[in-house]
Amino acid sequence: MGSKTMKTFDMPQERLLDVDNVQVHFPLREGLVKAVDGVSYHVNKGEVLGIVGESGSGKSITARSIMRLLPKRAVDAGGQVRMQLRSGEQFDLSSFGRNSRAIRQVRGKHIGMIFQEPMTALSPVHTIGAQIMRTVQLHMGLSRAAARERAIDLLAKVQMPRPEQLVDAFPHQLSGGMRQRAMIALAISCDPALLIADEPTTALDVTTEAQILELLKRLQSELGMAIIFITHNFGVVADIADRVSVMYLGRIVETATVDDIFYAPKHPYTQALLRSIPRLGVDQGRRLPTIPGMVPDPFSVPPGCTFNPRCSHALSGLCDTQTPPEKRFGSQMSRCHIAEQFAQEPVHA
Amino acid sequence: MLDVATQNAGLAHADMPEDALISVRNLKKYFPIQAGWLKKTVGQIKAIDDVTLDIRKGETFGLVGESGSGKSTVARLMLRAYQLTDGQILFRQADGSVVDLSGLTDRQMRTMRREMQMIFQDPYSSLNPRMTLLQLVGEPMLIHGVGSQSEIRDRVAELLQVVGLRPEYVNRYPHAFSGGQRQRIGIARALALNPSFIAADEAVSALDVSVAAQNINLMQDLQEKFGLTYLFITHDLGMVEHISDRVGVMYLGRLMETAPTDKLFAKPLHPYTEALMAAVPQPDPRGNRTRKRVPLKGEIANAANPPKGCSFHPRCPYAQPICGTDVPALRAVEGGRQVRCHFAEELSLTGVTA
Repeated sequence: MGSKTMKTFDMPQERLLDVDNVQVHFPLREGLVKAVDGVSYHVNKGEVLGIVGESGSGKSITARSIMRLLPKRAVDAGGQVRMQLRSGEQFDLSSFGRNSRAIRQVRGKHIGMIFQEPMTALSPVHTIGAQIMRTVQLHMGLSRAAARERAIDLLAKVQMPRPEQLVDAFPHQLSGGMRQRAMIALAISCDPALLIADEPTTALDVTTEAQILELLKRLQSELGMAIIFITHNFGVVADIADRVSVMYLGRIVETATVDDIFYAPKHPYTQALLRSIPRLGVDQGRRLPTIPGMVPDPFSVPPGCTFNPRCSHALSGLCDTQTPPEKRFGSQMSRCHIAEQFAQEPVHA
Repeated sequence: MLDVATQNAGLAHADMPEDALISVRNLKKYFPIQAGWLKKTVGQIKAIDDVTLDIRKGETFGLVGESGSGKSTVARLMLRAYQLTDGQILFRQADGSVVDLSGLTDRQMRTMRREMQMIFQDPYSSLNPRMTLLQLVGEPMLIHGVGSQSEIRDRVAELLQVVGLRPEYVNRYPHAFSGGQRQRIGIARALALNPSFIAADEAVSALDVSVAAQNINLMQDLQEKFGLTYLFITHDLGMVEHISDRVGVMYLGRLMETAPTDKLFAKPLHPYTEALMAAVPQPDPRGNRTRKRVPLKGEIANAANPPKGCSFHPRCPYAQPICGTDVPALRAVEGGRQVRCHFAEELSLTGVTA
């Protein structure tokens, strides 16, 4: 795999992935869009990092830059993505080309990915068995017979009914929930250290969503893999994540343990989002608290803190001029000038 | 008012409650399954099977269920966008007379549609990209021959203001607007003819959290201002609990339970309702850890070949032998509730209200 794998980084033992100041720009006719504007996060081995944000916040693009699967017109404008396997082997993913041999060794083998819409991610003209077999034959060097055996085992592992028969099914013959299971089976086929799940339950019904979340939690503890779980649904993130990062307009505004995000958020955006969700069994009154205005268009991102025009705490002369630094409170990080103010303030019971 | 009202005034509308605006009785919609070169009908999909419900004047009736449960089909049948197979749709007009929409011709139905409008889920595909806001929002008035050019222009500007868009936008095209704003254009269009009934089919499901909250508040304001009655269709239980006065739960084309919202969430009477509530992940990590959540087994059955007896029995943790043989009737129980379960009284099910 060349000299790149030999490079050693200073990474803590438990660390699996370091995303360091990643920037992705889209030069468009209308102007430059900084879809990802200096995002940093880390994932430890075996943990679930939830990434929440509204559409256009850059959560998917950041994840795709880990896999080097950016759209063609995207410009990689800087940053580093480092990965460290259980064996101690290290990669600098950001140095790999989009279609290089090195990244293709990592994709599918060390990092699996699942998407919102399995129908567009799976090949419609190959059986699910054939798609899984091709992956395990390529990365694990199994024979055809052994690969088929493994495909059936994997389908059983994701709780597909009748795996011996469904291994020969085409994606269109399966229901939405079953397709999602097939895609998970494909993604975990080579025991990856990291699974990137991009809104995997958004298109599913709640009962199917609950089944898929249970399945992912079980697989995660059985296989000891880490998950980056991207979603816009705070309920889902509360259910599956150990830590959560909240994104707004291409930046992470807050990162904390799941309990701190929900019970002691230190960024006004996180607080406002949490207040605007109708909760089951909780009467929030007739009107839902909302965030005033809307997400600014990406060509005219406000100066200073990008959330300041919509923030009820914004201070003029500070929030609208200076980009807030990363403020740390133990394991919690908030990019807000007045984060200290929220240190002891409970947001909701 | 429509003269059909007098034509079928002799029919029995006695079972329509006084305070109901729209009542559906034994509604059925079967789609034929066709096969072969001659398109021979080989079976039927019972998309809607025996749905009976009342929506009261001024209330919001929430309809929940998984995809394929038939909730959108019910709304489309009520507005006669689909031809129904059987049943009655009783609608109370402004003068108090009752019309059975199921017997109307398309021409007669057209006049009724001034009273009933629909808001759709996808604000991108439901607005014609080649039409300006003036044309989009003014189109219903043009079709129904209401007002002159300048009156339509004034009304459109007023409607845009009502839904929180600037009246100067009348000559813009939908592509210039965000998803939430487009949804507001759809709302303005639905309001153009001063309807009394609006069916909102997943009206906020495609929107981001903060935008959805803004639009829900808008819909509630409009309801108060214009005395609107809503049928609110969604798969989001949190949203339905927030906005609805009463809720109906659908499964495989049948109504499983209807109840006032607070009673339904405090104590569901149907095992499917309980399972649905338990499945919703809550934005409360500590609560999720302690809450017992047993995911429902299996998947929604094939509507072309539904299970015998209660359609939910193969997935029901409380199923008894009788559930596999006898179809339970939707029956009235105390507290203004209806339930379709043999054991509604015996079971003690868990809701979500703490």
